[in-house]
Amino acid sequence: MSELDSPAVSAVPVGDAAGEPGDHAVEPPAGESDAWLAVAEMADSALAYLSLEELLGQLLERIRALVRADTAAILLLDRERRLLLARAAKGVEEEVRQGVSIPLGAGFAGRIAAEARAVAIEDVDHSNVLNPILRQKGIRSLLGVPLIVDGRVTGVLHVGTHRRRRFTRQDQQLLQMAANRAALAIDNARLSEQRAFTEVLQHHLLVERPPQVPGLRISAKYVPAAGALVGGDWYDVFNLPDGRIALVVGDVAGRGLPAAAVMTTVRTALRAYLFERRELEHVVALLNQLILSTGRRIGVSVAIMTLDLESRELVAINAGQPPPLLLPADGSQRLVAHASGPPLGSRLSAGYESETLEYPSPSALILYTDGLIERRGESLDAGLARLEHADLMDRNDGLRLADRTFNRLASDQALEDDVAVLAIEAFALGAGFVVTLEADPIVLASLRRVVARWLMELGIPEAQRFDLTLACSEAATNAIEHAYGPHDATFRVHGEASDEQIVLHIADHGSWRARAGRDRGRGLTLMRALVDDVLIDRSAAGTTITLISRRK
Amino acid sequence: MSLPTLTSVNGLPVARMPTDVDAANASGVGDELAGAVGHDDRGLILDFGETRYLDSAGIDMLLRLDERLRRRRQTLHLIVDERSPLRRLLAITGVDRSLTIEGDLADVVSAIE
Repeated sequence: MSELDSPAVSAVPVGDAAGEPGDHAVEPPAGESDAWLAVAEMADSALAYLSLEELLGQLLERIRALVRADTAAILLLDRERRLLLARAAKGVEEEVRQGVSIPLGAGFAGRIAAEARAVAIEDVDHSNVLNPILRQKGIRSLLGVPLIVDGRVTGVLHVGTHRRRRFTRQDQQLLQMAANRAALAIDNARLSEQRAFTEVLQHHLLVERPPQVPGLRISAKYVPAAGALVGGDWYDVFNLPDGRIALVVGDVAGRGLPAAAVMTTVRTALRAYLFERRELEHVVALLNQLILSTGRRIGVSVAIMTLDLESRELVAINAGQPPPLLLPADGSQRLVAHASGPPLGSRLSAGYESETLEYPSPSALILYTDGLIERRGESLDAGLARLEHADLMDRNDGLRLADRTFNRLASDQALEDDVAVLAIEAFALGAGFVVTLEADPIVLASLRRVVARWLMELGIPEAQRFDLTLACSEAATNAIEHAYGPHDATFRVHGEASDEQIVLHIADHGSWRARAGRDRGRGLTLMRALVDDVLIDRSAAGTTITLISRRK
Repeated sequence: MSLPTLTSVNGLPVARMPTDVDAANASGVGDELAGAVGHDDRGLILDFGETRYLDSAGIDMLLRLDERLRRRRQTLHLIVDERSPLRRLLAITGVDRSLTIEGDLADVVSAIE
């Protein structure tokens, strides 16, 4: 809305000389030292520990006393929606309670913000006032100034009186000084509030326990840029219902709360899509639709990989992310799964293709966001080359791979961008393994992948591998059915290999029950048919099924 | 939950079964399959080409589904590769005696016609 559409302003701006936009260097008016002190105190240490709400309340109280006004209010600018929103008020508290919003450029406050200068109204024309609360309160005269930080209008501070009053230039100078102080304090409080909130959001999302997969070491690291709002980088790693492991690294353009909010949406949606769809092309197309449907023009780059440790198949799709680094056991390092298209979030984001790679055990894989390799004044290729040739597999430093990667690549300077690193290292299980699993059927596919992979590493032939894996899965199903509590119920699988035989122990904390339903007993019959011996040990502490299969 | 993908061949519904059919998804898969068969369909084909594991809950689901289709005079056909370990499992559990199992889709189609 332009000024011409705003008939509510019935007065002219106060003199230009003192009311220049962004005039931060206003000297205290002579003979107003008390007032000046009062303003100076507005940024004092006592206010520094207040929440934004408390801070604004205190500021308005001081301002109202300072210019001897009846009302004082602060409206903050929502730049995206081009609206001024009442945030704090004294004498006109209804403004905040009723959530008054004024379009930028419209009315008294809207004009102050749009033109970034002071406006005074000696006799308010109530037939034209946009804000009905000012009319109800019988406000006669108004004086308002912009809140300005770094040359940008962040809001409006206005005071009002019940009795008609001609505000002087001195009143206006005083109010502008107060506004300048207030603007900085508000900006700082808003930034720290936003930063704290965003950090909580990031922390909550990123520090979840990664899945426990025997023979797979998972490490991750997230480091926000130095001295800036945290960004929209994220990583994710979780088991899929069919036993694959999903690995995700992504980056939402922008910083602070808006980027973090989009990130949480995208991260959650991606989990849901990956649970439902096997083809990564479909998953990426769905995610792009979701981002477009938000109506925000925001770019989201993402690399998604799914790993099947039994078939050693790694499927990857990449929309705008730098290529992950594969580190096979032979000591070579190569960049894989280069982006097959731009970041998601535009109509052009289509035609992504997945690729399938072999992921032998042992080997390692590193996914990361561009902050890891980008440096000012250096090409992206130079950064990629640094990563490709970095000495990352030194195993004697006690560091997790994600930490070592970060240390080698990005720890020698202040970060200009966020960095997320997700690393996995697959290693041979050897003669045995132990895994504790949630007593939920959803873990069965993952368990079978672990057992089958272990048996494959031991050189067990396919038919015997299948039989042992399925028998173990049946025993696990029994253990899951024994679980009584809905939470914290777990069971344990322990595999031991000798030259003569393979032994699997499946132990739960419940008591033996024959399975309900028509498949009663079929599980046990099946186990007995699949392996050489099935031993069932029932005790007060729980039930342990031992499966023995002799090596042929 | 991993569910089957549904298509059709010669007007007969074909379900590509998930990699794993076990206690986690058997009942959901069973519901999905029962819903895929129309009253006018002659039967249902289950393609186990991508399936690695089928446990006792999955076997139970197949037997129930077969019973349900039989009551509607419809037939259940399983496609399981001759070399798949699932063949031995179906033999151990005796399922191969009550269900029709073919090696590939062409065999099923010729068996129907």
